[in-house]
Amino acid sequence: MAEIREFEDKAKKVFSAERKEDIWVLILAAITVILGLTGVITPKTFPSLFF
Amino acid sequence: MTDTNSGVMKYVPGFIFCIILGWLALQWDQSIHKWQKDYQESEKILKPYLNEGKPLLPFDEYVAKSEGKYKEKLSAFEHGDIKEKPKKPHLLQKIDYEIIAATKEIPFKFRFGERMIQFQLTYVAVLLLGGMLLRNTIGLPKFILPGTVIARPVIKPGIVLLGGYYLWSNLLKVGIFALLLVLIFIVGTTVLVSIIGRRMKQDDGLMGVMAAGTGICGVSAAVAVAPVVNAKPRDFFYAVGTILLFGTVALFTFPYIGKALGMSEPVFGAWVGTAILNTAQLVAAATWYGHDSLLTANIINIVRVGFIPLVVIYCIWFYVIRQAKTEGRHEKINTWKVVKEKFPLFILGFFAMVTLNEFGVFTEDHRTIFGKQFLQIFFAVGFAGVGLNIAFEDLKKAGGKAFVIGFLAATLKAVLAAIVVILIGTEAFKVK
Repeated sequence: MAEIREFEDKAKKVFSAERKEDIWVLILAAITVILGLTGVITPKTFPSLFF
Repeated sequence: MTDTNSGVMKYVPGFIFCIILGWLALQWDQSIHKWQKDYQESEKILKPYLNEGKPLLPFDEYVAKSEGKYKEKLSAFEHGDIKEKPKKPHLLQKIDYEIIAATKEIPFKFRFGERMIQFQLTYVAVLLLGGMLLRNTIGLPKFILPGTVIARPVIKPGIVLLGGYYLWSNLLKVGIFALLLVLIFIVGTTVLVSIIGRRMKQDDGLMGVMAAGTGICGVSAAVAVAPVVNAKPRDFFYAVGTILLFGTVALFTFPYIGKALGMSEPVFGAWVGTAILNTAQLVAAATWYGHDSLLTANIINIVRVGFIPLVVIYCIWFYVIRQAKTEGRHEKINTWKVVKEKFPLFILGFFAMVTLNEFGVFTEDHRTIFGKQFLQIFFAVGFAGVGLNIAFEDLKKAGGKAFVIGFLAATLKAVLAAIVVILIGTEAFKVK
């Protein structure tokens, strides 16, 4: 029984980690969009990262 | 001394490792794509010589002729004589042109690039196959592992940014078919697995996670459903093992099956969007096949993950409420609470991007930056995480009758979905 409860807690924790992960995803995407719209990132930025 | 086993620090080495692998794979991808274009250009240059024995032009004349043709086409486009804006010509570098002029042969590196693209060995394949091989042959040091796990969700910002490529009209056009596919196949598989599981007297906890996992969204759905169906740790790992095993097999075989069946990119996108169970693996397979395939697969995936709360509600009803009724107890679902808790938030970012694009906030340059270039960066880091986390020992955790039910249900879904999407055809799934 204790094993099951421990696992339930773990599964809930994993799900709340997914929720947190989604917030980070949105922040990262928002930063990229802002940098793109303000012209910090241009179409030349990506090719310049490679030889 | 800093403790690298605790806190954020434990993720840093693995995450940096994924960034490095991602960069290397993108460098490879850039090179083979350039060589492939060089190959096609070389063929064009050599054609008059090989067919009619005409001598090759000097380099300066070749450049002037190509640019002249481009300007002519551009002017025709500006006058409305042709509909599609011409692309800037891809010109060979002087040194390469001179080698071709001297040898009258296409250089090896160009042929190599062409062959690699033919075999679809792009950055997606390199990261997935390379990562899997690395993990299962040499192995990864323990301090690398946590960071590779958190690299996988880096795919999601790419999915959000891809939203900038769509208009609401595109989304609704493909979305209607996506909704149909999701309702028929994904909800259908969830219901089928749960009913077969009951008939074969399998454990409710195990079949609950298996039904959600094989039906809708792989591991995320299994995680969401596990607590409500009282899944035991063993059940959960069986189900996740089955989902991952099917996803891994599908990921590496579907792009080749799609090519063999002559599927167009949108049709393939619709197929993998319906048939592959895990978001990361689905996105990888679709990207592997082509950008248009990704555009379609992404819409189906968004509709599908939006269904997670509904699948959780179904599982609560099937495994908890029905069960309670037969035992004479009365249980209720707080639907709003389930939807609020289980709804994948990142979808909202995707819809925000579609809306911004609809309002004309993004230019063509922005769409290139977000939907092609930075998308590749996020995907490359994420795919490195996916490849490095395909561990054969995890796949072995799939087992027993439940594995057979889950695997067969997923395979049946894939076969039927392939037939249906081929019959529906390219036009219905074409985003633009």
